[in-house]
Amino acid sequence: MSKASLSFGASTENLPIIRHFVQTHLRAKVPSSVLLNQITVAVEELCANSILHGNAENPQKELRLELHVQKHTLHIYLYDPAPPYDLHAYPSEPTLLRAGTNRPGGFGIYLIRRLIDRIDVRKCKGGSSVYHMVKQLPHEGGS
Amino acid sequence: MQVEVLSGTTDTNLQVALTGELDALTAPKLYENLNRLLQEHPNTRKIILNCRGLTYLSSAGAGILLMSIDNLAPKGISLELKDVTPEVYNILDLLGLTKLMPVNHV
Repeated sequence: MSKASLSFGASTENLPIIRHFVQTHLRAKVPSSVLLNQITVAVEELCANSILHGNAENPQKELRLELHVQKHTLHIYLYDPAPPYDLHAYPSEPTLLRAGTNRPGGFGIYLIRRLIDRIDVRKCKGGSSVYHMVKQLPHEGGS
Repeated sequence: MQVEVLSGTTDTNLQVALTGELDALTAPKLYENLNRLLQEHPNTRKIILNCRGLTYLSSAGAGILLMSIDNLAPKGISLELKDVTPEVYNILDLLGLTKLMPVNHV
């Protein structure tokens, strides 16, 4: 099993660092550039939600991202000091988000649901949370 | 994120090259830049964003494009994306934006 972790403050300034971390660690394991981008987007969306909404862009709040690759399964963990939010309390179709608003919202959660096989969140002692996303990776040689 | 007006721009067609990554950090800057360019080119009827150099798009970037479509349409201005990379096209398509505006991929 391979593991990698990254700690970062809750600032959107860190989004490029998060993307670079994901792509550097997974490039050799995910040969398709479209799939690698999909995973990168899903991870960034999860982190951006925590940065912007859970931690109100307070860079003093520290989050930790872990990537675990076990055979052909990618496990992504985000340790967030903020309480968890309801991952399923958003519209299931992005077009619904346009009605009556001048600013779309919920795109990030929608993308995570489309790009990742499974996501759940666990509330921890002290009110923090751990988000866990799972994605099956293609076997080498496409089998 | 860099926004550059291209030489093919006419009185009514504003051609703009996007270079870099469009995320929660840079998306508001794109929106500001497009509004500024529209003030400088008041007769614009169509904005063509050349996305060959756009290497990444998150939901925040897609949200700004959607907001631009919604704000521009009542003014009779259309938005079109050109030379989008396969990675960025995939995300636009998942979000349904390829049905809302012309998107041409490389």
